[in-house]
Amino acid sequence: MIVITGASKGLGRAICERLIEKNIDVFGLARNVEDVPFASMSCDVSSYESVKDVAQHLKKEGIKVSGLVNAAGIASMNLAVTTPQSVAQKIINTNLLGTIYCCQLIAPLMLRNKHGSIINFSTIAVALGLKGESIYAASKAGVEGFTRSFAREMADFNVRVNCIAPGPIDTSLLKGITAEQINKIVSQQIIPRQFKPESVADLVELLIDSRSDSLSGQVLHVGGA
Amino acid sequence: MSATDSVKTEVFSQISQLLEDKSLTVTDDMPLIGGESVLDSMKLVELCLALEDKAADMGFEFDWTFDAAMSRSRSIFRTAGSLAAEFISQMEAKK
Repeated sequence: MIVITGASKGLGRAICERLIEKNIDVFGLARNVEDVPFASMSCDVSSYESVKDVAQHLKKEGIKVSGLVNAAGIASMNLAVTTPQSVAQKIINTNLLGTIYCCQLIAPLMLRNKHGSIINFSTIAVALGLKGESIYAASKAGVEGFTRSFAREMADFNVRVNCIAPGPIDTSLLKGITAEQINKIVSQQIIPRQFKPESVADLVELLIDSRSDSLSGQVLHVGGA
Repeated sequence: MSATDSVKTEVFSQISQLLEDKSLTVTDDMPLIGGESVLDSMKLVELCLALEDKAADMGFEFDWTFDAAMSRSRSIFRTAGSLAAEFISQMEAKK
């Protein structure tokens, strides 16, 4: 079973649908799972207790977890000096602490089997140092640092930890961002085109598969940076 | 031997199995975290998983992920004795 956060929409939903298509069992987590048509549970990743409830549920049900995809995330394109404190806090809580909590509490379910793959999500904004994304990029830079160290901690248990850092993928996370802004970011990628959620799902599919068992602690930039 | 003594012996036995130096005897004050610890961090995780299994066999759930479990000053892993005490306390609370 692959546990996927942010499963109700955007990249998380696209990843769930791809894995289901490939007959891989998924367990989706999202704050609101009313419209989620596959196994799921409500979870606010920024709450340690909420994530712990999920981990306990999975353990109680005897669900064998072999993967975790931390796709839940929020963005706010704004200059740091004009970002309200509450928004900055929310971005760090969801993107960075949410990833850490899920890894802390769901990884033990994989340690027992000495097998697993964890995929965290960063952004190309970290590598490119994009203007107007400083707080978002800071939260994701934290995810990258966490991924590299956590990968070493998990290696003895045969659990791999990697990070995907997409450019502006065509999802609801980009609402409010103009085509001109997107083109400007895309033009800074090594492959200067906007990728679709399917490209990210391709990478997830590879990273949870044993074909990528030589990869851990890596940050993979979609589009190249 | 009382029931709690027997559970404590079981916890000590789990620790003992993970010790590299098999000549060591597990005692109440044997440190499990910090510079003096007899277990490295990976062995400590293995101990937690083994205690989870043991607790499941005994019909309760052993939780080592709450805040105080990891706090250096209040950690349940301070010593073998404090870990055994926490294991017994959770067993009794969840009976």
